[in-house]
Amino acid sequence: MSELVLTDTQELRASARRVANKRILNLGIDAFLVLFGLLMILPLVFLVANAFKTPQELLRWPPTVIPTNPTLSNVQAVLADTPLLRWVFNSFLFAILSTITILTTSSIAGYILGKFPSRTMSVLFAIILATAIVPFEVYMIPLYFQIKGLGLLNSVWGMLIGYLVMSFGIFLIRQNVIHSIPDELIEAARIDGAGEFWIFFIIVLPLLRGAMGALAVLAFFQAWTAFAWPLIVGTTRDAYTIEVGLALFQTGFTVDLGRLSAASAVVLVPSVTLFVLLRRNFVQGVASTGLKE
Amino acid sequence: MLKRKRWLFAIFAILPTLAIYLWVRIIPIEEVLRLSLHKWDLLSKNKPFIGFANFEELFHDQLFITSLINTTIIAFGVLVITIPLALFLAALIHHRTRSRFAGFYETSIFIPHVVSLVPAAMAWKWIFDARLGPLNAFLGIFGVHPQSWLFDPVLSIICVIVLCSWQALGYAVLIYLVGFKNLPVSLFEAAKLDGASGPQSFWFLSIPLLKPITLYVSVVTLVSGFNVYAQAFVLASDAQGAPGRQVRVLVLDMLENSFRNYRIGYASSEAVVLLVIVLVLTLIQFTLLRERGRA
Amino acid sequence: MSRPVSKFAASVFSNSGRAALLGSVLGAGLFAGVTSASAVELTVWSGYPEMAPFYQHVADSMKAAHPDLSVKVEAIPLREHEKRVALGVTSGGAADVIELAVSTATRYLDNELMAQAPDDVTKFVNDPANYNEFFRNAASYNGKVYALPLFRGQSALFYNTDMFKAAGLTTPPKTMDDFSTYAAKLVQRDASGNPTVSGWSMRLSGGGQGIAEKFWINMFQFGGNLLEQAPDGKWKATYASEAGHKALKQYLQNVAQKNVTVEMPADAEAFERGQTAMFIRESWVIGDIATKAPNLKYATATLPMGSIVAPVNLYITGTGDKAKAAWEFAMAANTPENQLWLLDNVGWLPNRSGLDFSKIVAAKPNVAAFVEYPSTYKFFSLPTIGPADEVLTRVAAKLTDAFANPALANDDAAIDKVLADAQAETNSILKREGILAE
Repeated sequence: MSELVLTDTQELRASARRVANKRILNLGIDAFLVLFGLLMILPLVFLVANAFKTPQELLRWPPTVIPTNPTLSNVQAVLADTPLLRWVFNSFLFAILSTITILTTSSIAGYILGKFPSRTMSVLFAIILATAIVPFEVYMIPLYFQIKGLGLLNSVWGMLIGYLVMSFGIFLIRQNVIHSIPDELIEAARIDGAGEFWIFFIIVLPLLRGAMGALAVLAFFQAWTAFAWPLIVGTTRDAYTIEVGLALFQTGFTVDLGRLSAASAVVLVPSVTLFVLLRRNFVQGVASTGLKE
Repeated sequence: MLKRKRWLFAIFAILPTLAIYLWVRIIPIEEVLRLSLHKWDLLSKNKPFIGFANFEELFHDQLFITSLINTTIIAFGVLVITIPLALFLAALIHHRTRSRFAGFYETSIFIPHVVSLVPAAMAWKWIFDARLGPLNAFLGIFGVHPQSWLFDPVLSIICVIVLCSWQALGYAVLIYLVGFKNLPVSLFEAAKLDGASGPQSFWFLSIPLLKPITLYVSVVTLVSGFNVYAQAFVLASDAQGAPGRQVRVLVLDMLENSFRNYRIGYASSEAVVLLVIVLVLTLIQFTLLRERGRA
Repeated sequence: MSRPVSKFAASVFSNSGRAALLGSVLGAGLFAGVTSASAVELTVWSGYPEMAPFYQHVADSMKAAHPDLSVKVEAIPLREHEKRVALGVTSGGAADVIELAVSTATRYLDNELMAQAPDDVTKFVNDPANYNEFFRNAASYNGKVYALPLFRGQSALFYNTDMFKAAGLTTPPKTMDDFSTYAAKLVQRDASGNPTVSGWSMRLSGGGQGIAEKFWINMFQFGGNLLEQAPDGKWKATYASEAGHKALKQYLQNVAQKNVTVEMPADAEAFERGQTAMFIRESWVIGDIATKAPNLKYATATLPMGSIVAPVNLYITGTGDKAKAAWEFAMAANTPENQLWLLDNVGWLPNRSGLDFSKIVAAKPNVAAFVEYPSTYKFFSLPTIGPADEVLTRVAAKLTDAFANPALANDDAAIDKVLADAQAETNSILKREGILAE
């Protein structure tokens, strides 16, 4: 008996030590991850800081992190010199329209491909997935000529045509349809005499809310960060998206780092805020790509 | 009767999407293949069929070969940095899921993946700046001589790799996190009872079990690595006050041939090469996955 | 070069002020002849953001005669401008008035994509009192006028007089050897020997053809050309030569001696901030300095042998009423008043003959190096061939590699090899396009 008590206290001590060790280890891991996370966002912090530095301070060595006497003149100059807000507007319009069309095409096609199994549908699904493998950059030049033929250059509509569909979106919805919408539910509705459209809009769509939310965030940021395509479709200053406008803003004869940073910061702040707000959706959305296997 | 009605609905509902696919995906891809066999210059009226002459020229074209090499180095460089680091970070984050900083970890590692490329590249351009950049200032503390990051032939490629990895990391970490969450808990508990330490079960259990995820992330990372463009464009864009060394990458060379030299057919043949590379990589992934399935 | 470039130099100043007066009267008469009945909106595309005020000024000067005319000026950086022109012209979505360098415009003319000038404009351009032969040729294609000349890019040396004084230099460099010795004297270094102010800012990096163009300018001072035209009108690369060797070696040695390094701030920006002592550039820098660094003490000087001259014209797309107004606009850009306004306010060199620069030179002595040069001064221009950009881009890629290779600086054989390799590649491009001289 006494022996047992002894081992008990020993074990207790040992486990207390283990718990303490574990806590120290966890603290270490936390510290490391926090540090790493800070390092990851450090470049963006620099960028925002540079936006508020005076030209003299930008040339100072060693570089400062926090502006010593912050100025708004960079931001003001950029807003005066470039149609920055117009570019932001173009980007928003492009991203929103793209999100809407991708949601529409993906939800319908994903539902049909998921709930109307047949050989034809399998073949179609395979083709849709196969096109996803081909990088956009490969065929954007012929696509460009199609846009040109339609006279849609320099317009948000022209840009949109490259971003009407998203194979991954169809894949995502199809997976969700298969896994989360029981056939019985649809059959029951059919027996009750519901039309196919009614079933899709009233039964299926609400059940896909989560997946659609994730897809919406993905589609939005895909269009928001698009670069090569808007660069060739937009050739007038007013047609640029913010990405293109910013990139070309620095190709003049001289570079003004302060203004460049100011313009970048103006763009960065809304998109980062949007992301932080929608993080949950986004994480789900990207995560579901990993569910493939 | 009822069945046929259902099918009609299916066909009609999916038709618009298929039409869009045909229009903005299939036809352009077919066009690329066709143009690559023509001397198709934007401005000239004659656009004759020239067989594989474009491809023959490609493989003697110094700029193309340089771009192909650079792009390959960048794609694999990003892979080599991203995958192990992402696996390691995901393991740590998974381990600390209940930490009150968990949200911060995910967000901070992920933000580079969603911020617009151009502002991000500009931030890095300043960091790498030889005279004013914080990187040299930081290295200076350790007595390292200032390096001209954006100008040296080797360092400038490293800069692109760093920038791309910074952006690709978040995505890979997230996919791995999903993988970790789906690992069978019972297996790890059994290992723990057998006296396996955390690092041991990570090495002998997690890594093999995550192999399919690793394969998937690797291919996605590689394919997007082969499409690198905006990063190289912004890091050495054409401003004239000592902009930086132009790191030639495939998409850049392609766009230059199309829209500066107006040689659309030639650029299309480059696109076909890019397509072949991507297809081969995907094929390798499928083969490896299937082998695993058999084993 | 087969273009009668040297005649250009001889005739620039030979025309009297009377001719200019005549020209302007003629021009005014032409505008009066056409009255636009309805409101017309013209779009002007320019590849130089600093040109925007000029086009606006031209539009304003037309206000009195054409109250209904409105002009929209879209001036963006050159690269993007060239891209939008290529895409716009082939799709019919281009602006009405397009500013384009002759070397770029040729490929459009080859494919009949630009409008031919109406008779009155042809007459105006072909009048020797208005333009000398060089610019008349530059505005013509197969003997027909397709454009109105506007301005030209021409280079000279810009040097910081304070830095020259501090280095004990009183005159600008006269020979290319001087450039190197000056650069060595002018460079400023920190305690560890690294340059903080470059002695001579040379174009060592960047994405495009600019590197090759600048190299050509230097090489020209040694008596060589990147490309030369044979009597049959075909072209051949000629830079694997003594001049090419000397030019490349000079670059390499200046880099090796750290008179300039690749990562140093360069070009106009660096000059304006006092980060380089001298560099070679076009006249627009005068205007740029005036706005961005008005207190900078500097002077300009002609180059040892001569300069590049890159004529830029105004081309018109389309036909009908709009085109008519567009041609009028291009004519208005060529009145002596507007041409002088261009030099005075923007800094680009106008191409009209018989302009009286004396007032501007008196007020801005730095303009002199661009408009008053020795009678022996030679000029070259970029070849007006389709693949010109491609050739230059590829030469630039080879040069950048060479500049980054410190082992080359004292290895004559290796320098020759670099040049021979690059030249072979250039010739293969010319051959592909069927324009290689045998």
